[in-house]
Amino acid sequence: MTDEKTKYVPHHVMVVDTNRCVGCWTCAVGCKEINNEPLGFWWNRILTTAPNQSTTAAPPASENIDVPRGVFPDLELAYLPVACQHCNDAPCVKVCPVQATYRRDDGAVLIDYERCIGCRYCMAACPYGVRIFNWGDAEYAPGGIVGYGKNYYDDGRLVFTPERPKGVVEKCTFCVERIDVGEEPFCVEVCPIGARVFGDLNDADSEVSQLINEGGAVQLHPELGTDPNVYYVPVRKRVVRES
Amino acid sequence: MAINTVSLPDAAEGKVAKSVGVQIWYALLALIGVIGFAAWIYELDHGLAATGMRDVVSWGMYIFTFAFFIGLSAGGLIMASSAEVFGIKALKPLARLGVLSAASCVAVAALMIIPDLGQPTRILNLVRHPNWSSPLLWDVLIITVYFIFSVVDLSVLQVHAVEPTRLRRTMRLLAYIGLPTAVLLHSVTAWIFGLQISRTWWNTSLMAPLFVVSAILSGTALVTLLALAAERWGHFNLPNDTREWLRKFVAMALLIDLFFVACDYITIFWGNVPADRSALNLVLPGGPYSWLFWGEWLVGGLVPLAFLMVPRLRRVSGSLGIATFLVLIGVYAFRIELVIVGFVNPLTQFPPGNALGTYNATASSFQLVGKYTPSLVEYAITLGLCALFAAIFTTGYRRLHLADGKMIRDPLGSASLTRDEGPPTSDDNSVRDTTLATKP
Ligand code: SF4
Ligand code: SF4
Ligand code: SF4
Repeated sequence: MTDEKTKYVPHHVMVVDTNRCVGCWTCAVGCKEINNEPLGFWWNRILTTAPNQSTTAAPPASENIDVPRGVFPDLELAYLPVACQHCNDAPCVKVCPVQATYRRDDGAVLIDYERCIGCRYCMAACPYGVRIFNWGDAEYAPGGIVGYGKNYYDDGRLVFTPERPKGVVEKCTFCVERIDVGEEPFCVEVCPIGARVFGDLNDADSEVSQLINEGGAVQLHPELGTDPNVYYVPVRKRVVRES
Repeated sequence: MAINTVSLPDAAEGKVAKSVGVQIWYALLALIGVIGFAAWIYELDHGLAATGMRDVVSWGMYIFTFAFFIGLSAGGLIMASSAEVFGIKALKPLARLGVLSAASCVAVAALMIIPDLGQPTRILNLVRHPNWSSPLLWDVLIITVYFIFSVVDLSVLQVHAVEPTRLRRTMRLLAYIGLPTAVLLHSVTAWIFGLQISRTWWNTSLMAPLFVVSAILSGTALVTLLALAAERWGHFNLPNDTREWLRKFVAMALLIDLFFVACDYITIFWGNVPADRSALNLVLPGGPYSWLFWGEWLVGGLVPLAFLMVPRLRRVSGSLGIATFLVLIGVYAFRIELVIVGFVNPLTQFPPGNALGTYNATASSFQLVGKYTPSLVEYAITLGLCALFAAIFTTGYRRLHLADGKMIRDPLGSASLTRDEGPPTSDDNSVRDTTLATKP
């Protein structure tokens, strides 16, 4: 750890370019791998949508993924990968009665597995539906622990453990164990099309700053005021005008 | 003991039958309680996977029953305190009954939270690491305060009932504290839901007033039912003017309650915001949860209203009991509707929705529109806690001698008086009174 004087706290953000995302689920599977997520758990998932559609719009064409909207031949399809948005003003942090969910100075929202009492208030409060509860004894795919595989403590608090305790809530950690040693989150690293970018918003020259400041990247549900640290570059469609 | 001043029908052989009846009652409650406890042990072992809750609908029967009991409790105390604060004489005979019901309900409500926790052994974290911005923490705090308060209030009322000259001022003071505390209790519980921006179904400033009204409604209905039961089995004397008051009080509360719910529906309906509408559509006739709508508006709304207000139906024997029982069903339906529809309505309408948190080889790990069916474990634990409520209440009722003539100064006198002067609605009560009078 660095000492007080040299301690620089970055502002970690992630940008997902929905123009590039092809809905291949590599980031979701990668996330599951690195974090040894139990069966039935997906910290990160890829929602099927139409370009730039509001998340609370009318019910979808189908409850299955990869079904385009519209009537042939006017079909539209786009993808929206959603994991924890790491909100700066996070409802989950506000409601957690025991401060088990907390926000780090760099923007990552983490859960202390040793403190959570399993009340699931945070799940009721999160507008993005990204939290997952350990209902029973976790079941894992055969073949043993995969991924990071160790406990990770943030300031003495257990924020990652490969084998989950029963009765606590978990979600995307922004891959703290990786970003704290200067690596990228695993989903960013594995995305085959480079649709995901991670970086420091304090640094005006960083790619994320440019995508947000000039590339028009936006937050999900900005109207809720949760101020997420995950941004999405909207799909750009070319509109041909008559005159 | 002074019990004898009222309990005329208790001839020697009647008393024996009575105590056998009480023992059977306790045995039944104990059985339900033990089954519930066993279910809880099972749940501790298997985790909350033993329940029907999963990641989309992540709160279920424990929480809506908790909210229901909190309401019952707040209502009991509001009624008991109003008797004192607003000087409603007719409600005074119910003061101790109301506070006893309030204390037992809040105790059971607090216990209802325990089986809902994933890590119940860490519950002291609430004290060790409190987060003051969490409505849940405030709720725990107010529940604790409220429980202690209602026990103190009950003891003071008890002393006062035995010796009417003592603690008069304290009793009044407590009533003045009790009223706002009870209102606050239910408001804070409402804010657990009402403050959440995530779910439009909950996020309305009407939530706290609605909860308070439904608390007054259901709490009064419960106290009425308990008083009627006590009259039937426990020699409680429910004067006719008290009955009349309860009738009007419940009818009024029911009308206000339905009005508030209607305001919410109309706001959503007219605004037609997709996320709000999709929630309302789940409830309205034709939606998958319309049984809750009918439970709330018909079974727990129009029908009891008719029994309370239509003169001809009012005269039906037991109309008050029927109406209050139906009202309880309606308020319970409202609690279910509030909690479950809030979760079922998708946060985002994009497939595949949310991961479920459990694995099933034959079904998807995702769910878009939430589904929830309570498991047997949930039913068993909830029923067990209801049995606990009944046991606490019965014991309190007997131990505190609530049927004791001292509470109503001149029990027989007032009974015969109300019989003579009361309206013809006095149904089975007058029958009982007659038998009382004809006994030597
Ligand atoms: S997305 Fe949900 S879980 Fe993540 S920080 Fe925001 S409110 Fe909390
Ligand atoms: S479930 Fe755990 S993290 Fe979520 S609010 Fe409750 S204690 Fe906090
Ligand atoms: S940042 Fe890490 S934990 Fe979060 S979605 Fe990406 S891989 Fe998963």
